[in-house]
Amino acid sequence: MNNLLQFVIRYSAFILFLLLEAVALTLVVKYNKNQKGIFEHSSSIFSGKLYQMADDVYQYNHLQTFADSLASENAQLKQQVFNLERSVQRLIPADKPLDSCILEAYQLIPAQIINNSINQRNNHFTIDRGKKDGIVNGMGVISEQGIVGIIEETGSEYAMAVSILHSAVQISASIQRNGYFGSLVWKETDPAHMILEAIPGQADIRIGDTITTSGYSFIFPKGIFIGKVEQFWTEGGSNYYTIKVRLHEDIARMNRVYVVKYLDENLLKNEQ
Amino acid sequence: MNSRDSLFHIIRAVIILLIQILVLKRIGLSSLWWWQHGQIFLYPIIILLLPFRMTRHYVIILGFVVGLLIDMFYDTAGVHAFALTGMAYARGILMTWLEPRGGYQITMSPTNHTMGINWLMIYTSISVFIFCFLYFIGEVFTFVYLGQILLKTLITFFMSMIVIMGFHFLFNPKK
Repeated sequence: MNNLLQFVIRYSAFILFLLLEAVALTLVVKYNKNQKGIFEHSSSIFSGKLYQMADDVYQYNHLQTFADSLASENAQLKQQVFNLERSVQRLIPADKPLDSCILEAYQLIPAQIINNSINQRNNHFTIDRGKKDGIVNGMGVISEQGIVGIIEETGSEYAMAVSILHSAVQISASIQRNGYFGSLVWKETDPAHMILEAIPGQADIRIGDTITTSGYSFIFPKGIFIGKVEQFWTEGGSNYYTIKVRLHEDIARMNRVYVVKYLDENLLKNEQ
Repeated sequence: MNSRDSLFHIIRAVIILLIQILVLKRIGLSSLWWWQHGQIFLYPIIILLLPFRMTRHYVIILGFVVGLLIDMFYDTAGVHAFALTGMAYARGILMTWLEPRGGYQITMSPTNHTMGINWLMIYTSISVFIFCFLYFIGEVFTFVYLGQILLKTLITFFMSMIVIMGFHFLFNPKK
């Protein structure tokens, strides 16, 4: 007993070290499994406020750029609305008002990114909207340039999302020209490219083809632009293409995003 | 260490943490090649600058706590804590190895001022390398990508060394 005690005292620093390393590793493993643990609220309580403050300063320096890009996006959207209204009016009976014919299927909640990362194996970002603004776990996040992530944890005022640059993310995406679909994953450390897998070998693929969301889930609406085919090949012995997709959105620089909220899932199911 | 010294150390640590979280983390967000493979870490200097007479236990516990704090901001539960605890433990061993003939002036901290540039370079570079290596092992959590881990470790090591030695020369801390 005495010997044991002596041993413990002699190597106490080493034992303490092992103990704390074990705690840290448990955290790592636990976190990799389901992203829960004691960090659940970190995005809302403490770091959220600080990041918001820092982001305000950063924003101020870039106001002009943001204003310009918003104005051009606005113009584009207005143009789309006018064109769509025109086409819808041609299709519906003349005596019905236009408003009653438009489906209220989903709503976009504007948000701002206050914390972002791209150079880790599993990347996350934080937005300045939370439960208070109607955000729930599992909603998709898009920007004007493409999809960017999926909401994972929501606090009252902030929410954390897994970036599409995350080793566990799989997004159903299709080739716009011919409708073949597969799952989009992030494998490399390169934040500008993702890999589209499981496209059958008979599909006709050309470099430069547009990749969009397939709409086979309720996370992202159908037809959101993701990127372009940059390179494709078949792994040895496989019947499926592996496609390298160049993302249209620069995840490192994105700032303003929209959270997609489905208002009526039944409506959409019926429609399909 | 009297309370004024402790306060000085705490305030300095907070400022270093803020620089790490608000500036260095953001710098990594550009699309240049080397940022994608590496990051810049200044905050290990908090542990490196602790006074000689601080016992190993305190240093290890502090390493763990500081690591957890950084984890909260990097959303990397446990990875920074893992690496920094490892480095804090290694610091104890390194100090025994590198002990000069006359022993340390135990009230001082390991700085350029007290130990000279050669000693400081050896001490800092070994510690920072251990930190970076442990960090990327903890992040990837497997040895399968050993090549990638080493590449990231090297790039991060050089960038962090520049920042940490820069801190030493710029502020020339005496405590």
